[in-house]
Amino acid sequence: MSNRGPAFLRTTAFRQTLLSAALFALSSFVILGFVYAASAGLTLRRADATIGDEMSSVMGRFEAGGIRSINSYILQRTVGGAGDYIYLLVHPTGRRLTGNLSSLPDVSPDSEGRMQFTYRRPPVVGAEETTKDDRQARGSLRPLPGGYQLLVGLDVDEELNLLSRMTNTILAASALALALGVAAGIFVSRRFVRRLDNINQVARGVKAGDLQRRAPRNFTGDELDELSENFNGMLDRVEALMLRMRHTGDSIAHDLRTPLTRMRNRLDEALREDGDLKEREKTLEQAVSDTDELLGVFNSILSLSRLEAGESRASIVRLDPAEIAIDLAELYEPVCEDGNLGFDSEIQGGMQMYGDRGLISQALANILDNAVKYTPEGGAVTLRLRKTADGDIEFSVTDTGPGVDEEDRVRAIQRFVRLDSSRTLPGSGLGLSLVKAIADIHNGYFNLGDGPGFVDGHGPGLRASLTFPVAVDEKDE
Amino acid sequence: MRILIVEDDREAASYIRKGLRESGHVADHAADGEEGLEMARAAEYDVLVVDRMMPRMDGLSMIEGLRADEDRTPVLILSALGEVDDRVEGLKAGGDDYLVKPYAFAELLARVEALARRRDPDAVRTKLVVGDLEMDLLARKVVRETEEILLQPREFRLLEFLMKHSGQVVTRTMLLEKVWDYHFDPQTNVIDVHISRLRSKIDRPFNRALLHTVRGAGYRLQA
Repeated sequence: MSNRGPAFLRTTAFRQTLLSAALFALSSFVILGFVYAASAGLTLRRADATIGDEMSSVMGRFEAGGIRSINSYILQRTVGGAGDYIYLLVHPTGRRLTGNLSSLPDVSPDSEGRMQFTYRRPPVVGAEETTKDDRQARGSLRPLPGGYQLLVGLDVDEELNLLSRMTNTILAASALALALGVAAGIFVSRRFVRRLDNINQVARGVKAGDLQRRAPRNFTGDELDELSENFNGMLDRVEALMLRMRHTGDSIAHDLRTPLTRMRNRLDEALREDGDLKEREKTLEQAVSDTDELLGVFNSILSLSRLEAGESRASIVRLDPAEIAIDLAELYEPVCEDGNLGFDSEIQGGMQMYGDRGLISQALANILDNAVKYTPEGGAVTLRLRKTADGDIEFSVTDTGPGVDEEDRVRAIQRFVRLDSSRTLPGSGLGLSLVKAIADIHNGYFNLGDGPGFVDGHGPGLRASLTFPVAVDEKDE
Repeated sequence: MRILIVEDDREAASYIRKGLRESGHVADHAADGEEGLEMARAAEYDVLVVDRMMPRMDGLSMIEGLRADEDRTPVLILSALGEVDDRVEGLKAGGDDYLVKPYAFAELLARVEALARRRDPDAVRTKLVVGDLEMDLLARKVVRETEEILLQPREFRLLEFLMKHSGQVVTRTMLLEKVWDYHFDPQTNVIDVHISRLRSKIDRPFNRALLHTVRGAGYRLQA
């Protein structure tokens, strides 16, 4: 995909971990450095204090007995090994008079005569071990009357070694913290990248057309799991829409192909018919009526798409549902009688609801159309409007036709689904979907239920109901 | 009749034009709202057929411009937008009727002819007469050959509409819209059934039929 190095290097997780590792390393370095500075300072001050004490003691002897007295003191101190103390008495000529140091160190003292220098510890008689290494010492140089110079020092090699080891430890610890941080960053970000990669792979698969793929989930509820969940939810929705679209496309193809083929054949026939103008005219008229049927299907598809997309700006007003029911009863009663069907209406008045008269009428007309279409002669259709036990407003149309099997009822409402039993009858298969869409935009509910059962050789029938919430009076609100 | 078609789709325009000419009308064509407004101002037309969505000036703006000039020529709006709100918007802008695409030519012709008739001041008439059929709009009475015919309220309105448009083809969709105020087409033959009921009352007892079926289009009441 990219040539900018391994993918994990570019992840936010890696950068975050790296940054925090660096900060951690830096802060541990600063803290340990502070500890170091404090201990180093303390060590040197203590050494200087010890040196100061010894210097005072030697100077006390000088006050009492002069150079000679110091000389003998130093001799006495150094003859059996002076431990960590260092002494050197220098003659005005620069010659060493006495002491355990061969010559003055080549270091210039500070204003108080303090100095730090390296020296080589001379072999000591009787001492088991000798060292030829350079050792670190602190010292104090004091000029004496007569041009003599006195150096009193203290070996601080051990202490300084300790401090230097401490420095190394601090540096190592900081480096280790940094390295651990980087390693943790790589580990965490690689895991992150791997999980993201899984999601990306799924996305690429979907992009390539495999809508079945889903991102893996670990159900921990972390952010990536949540991402996967949402991602999968989105894919479910897309897949459902795609399926519906494909199904719609297939159904359109099927439902339009039949009338189109019929029309084409008719026109073809009209072209081939010789002479008989009457026949030709009749054929053309039939072709026109086929076209009208096609236009009807197109109009239904259009209205349904608009309703389902929520684009339709229904003009919803407060209305009395009884008026709608009465108008439709009046429209359909003759149709039923014409088709040798009994028609009855039971309409409860005095209720109020919010709705679009045109749309609700259309929904009821679709249901009534179906009832008329599917109920065999001698049957009956009943239109009812009532208040349900829950206080909702319910329109219902009951017929004594063959009904719809319970397991088919949900499917019957879907777009373009025409149950096999109805394939031969005219219709677009959109009627009930339109009813449902209209119910939906009114916050209503469309249901197919059991009819009256088997009566007089008819049945079991179907009861289609549209339920809407009742309008709440303003003063009740 | 002289009709102006304002439509940017040339093929659709020539189809309408050809159909109108064949029905004995004179039809001119303007390709957009601006041209349409100019032509409508320049000449007297009986009806304007105006597409709603056009480049340069849309149909509604054109109609508003026309009405601002006190021009009362009836306008039939053609539109792919068929929701109730779209219709209301079209009629508010000054349109007189609204036809949703796709439509059958017979539907368009019937509406254009109905619109031309509307200009006649028959709105104030209290009595409609077609042959020996008479309707008294005030007394809500229908009489044929001195015999009073009893009609249900809806049948009365149906006959009233047919009589007001006597001699013209009236489509089923027009009847659903104007008599029942429904803007959808039921799948069953509801209108045919109501017409046949009306027919049995106004025609069957008498010698001569007044209410004719026009194949592929609708109905016509004619003496």
